[in-house]
Amino acid sequence: MEESLLEVEVAGLKMRNPIILASGILGSYASSLNRISEHAGAVISKSVGVEEVEGYKNPVVVNYSHGIINAIGLSSPGAVKFAEELKAYKGSAPLIVSVFGSSPEDFVEVISHFPFASAFELNLSCPHSEKYGLTVGSDPDLVKEIVKNAKKATNKPVFAKISANVDVVEVGKAVEEGGADGIVAINTVKGMRIDIFTKKAILSNISGGVSGSAIKPIAIKCVWDLYEELEIPIIGSGGATTWRDIIEFMLAGASAVEVGSVMYYSLRAIYSLKESLIAYARMVNCKLEELIGAAHG
Amino acid sequence: MFTVKIEEVIEHNEKYSTIIFDRSFRAYPGQFIMLHVFGLEEIPLSLSSENSVTVKAVGETTKYLVKIKPGTRVGIKGPLGNPFSPTSGKALIIAAGIGAAPLAFLHKFLKKYAEEVSVIYAARSYDDLIFLESFGECRVATEDGSYGEQGTVFDLVYSEDLEEYDKIYACGPEIVLRGLYNYFKELGMEKNVEMSLERYMKCGIGVCGSCVIGNGMRVCVEGPVFNCADIVW
Repeated sequence: MEESLLEVEVAGLKMRNPIILASGILGSYASSLNRISEHAGAVISKSVGVEEVEGYKNPVVVNYSHGIINAIGLSSPGAVKFAEELKAYKGSAPLIVSVFGSSPEDFVEVISHFPFASAFELNLSCPHSEKYGLTVGSDPDLVKEIVKNAKKATNKPVFAKISANVDVVEVGKAVEEGGADGIVAINTVKGMRIDIFTKKAILSNISGGVSGSAIKPIAIKCVWDLYEELEIPIIGSGGATTWRDIIEFMLAGASAVEVGSVMYYSLRAIYSLKESLIAYARMVNCKLEELIGAAHG
Repeated sequence: MFTVKIEEVIEHNEKYSTIIFDRSFRAYPGQFIMLHVFGLEEIPLSLSSENSVTVKAVGETTKYLVKIKPGTRVGIKGPLGNPFSPTSGKALIIAAGIGAAPLAFLHKFLKKYAEEVSVIYAARSYDDLIFLESFGECRVATEDGSYGEQGTVFDLVYSEDLEEYDKIYACGPEIVLRGLYNYFKELGMEKNVEMSLERYMKCGIGVCGSCVIGNGMRVCVEGPVFNCADIVW
């Protein structure tokens, strides 16, 4: 019964709670997505492009004191193969397919392979790819064009995930003008680690994207600014680790919140967050939905 | 991630070396580390003792590792993953090829705690049997007949009275484990069997999802050691 206190709706996408599995975390196979969907409000698959991408060589992930840094390099089997894999998704939460590309045409083509998706997330923000992600997501005109074309390619909700390494309001407005159903902020933030004894960068790609609780205040501020300037719903993302973080994101203006790095600590994290949110909602006696943007004057 | 220095390299032969680190890890048999050779790759390796890994030269990084110079610093993540669960009763170890590495660690451990430990050890050729001394008395087979019986691990397993054991531990190439898995399922013994699986791994810490098996379990976190009853192939 009380789980209904957590229900949210983002652009027509109904979710039993606001916790969404972020793209790139345990999202390469239907089997792991099935498992995580047991408690999540929605799950997002690993970003997929038109062609197969090998990605960088190991190490592609390194931990640090407040989370992880990754430079996987958008490795992906390509749209055709990945669509076959995701057809085995039988999870109990909506499946959002994350898409990357270097042109509006790429996005349109990838989307056409996933008619079974509940929604799409456009990856305009991966910080460690030469051709994709942030490389296209830093140009507001291109962002607008991509969103516009993606919207034409499907009648499902289309969300655009943007980076904090750009002017979020400027890119956010381009996303809204392109007709997106929602905006996701933020992707990982550019960063790196150096080993002090070998005096070498740890990741094979030298730098990568920082996630985990260290980037949460940055993400909260981006969500806050977008809420002030945009009309479309916002999905918060970036370092949410505890149930308090989820509430904080919602108060800043997020309708739902993605979690990813928290899975490094425990695969039970989503279950635990959900249970804590129920307790909080009961304590303050309100539906979580009522908290969206409540910190704004 | 942290770094350790390599203290000693025991070159068993051209293909195999045991690399000893300058410190021991708080590790249990079956756990692995992600070992990073700076400039090359980071790869998963089962611990062959609290302070060593045993490597077979296969790819670029492992070819370098078998000849690595003592004093070199390497990056370590770990120890990672779930270990074998011990028994105080009778144990059977089934080792195939380089899969013997974590089982040599387990063997040393069980010597202290189990009532009895038996070993079946098979490989392609005598050169691949680098843990003979470490296992002591065991039933051995090689495919080319260069040592022990001529045959495969299956020949030894099929002729063993498996009912006798409280717990069976296996590690080896996927094709061997799959065969054993089917055999133990047929016999209805899968609950008594633990296997250490190998999968293509990227992060090693449970987030990337490269190593998940059919039921969504991660080889790097819920594994690499699984009870046979929990494996979906």
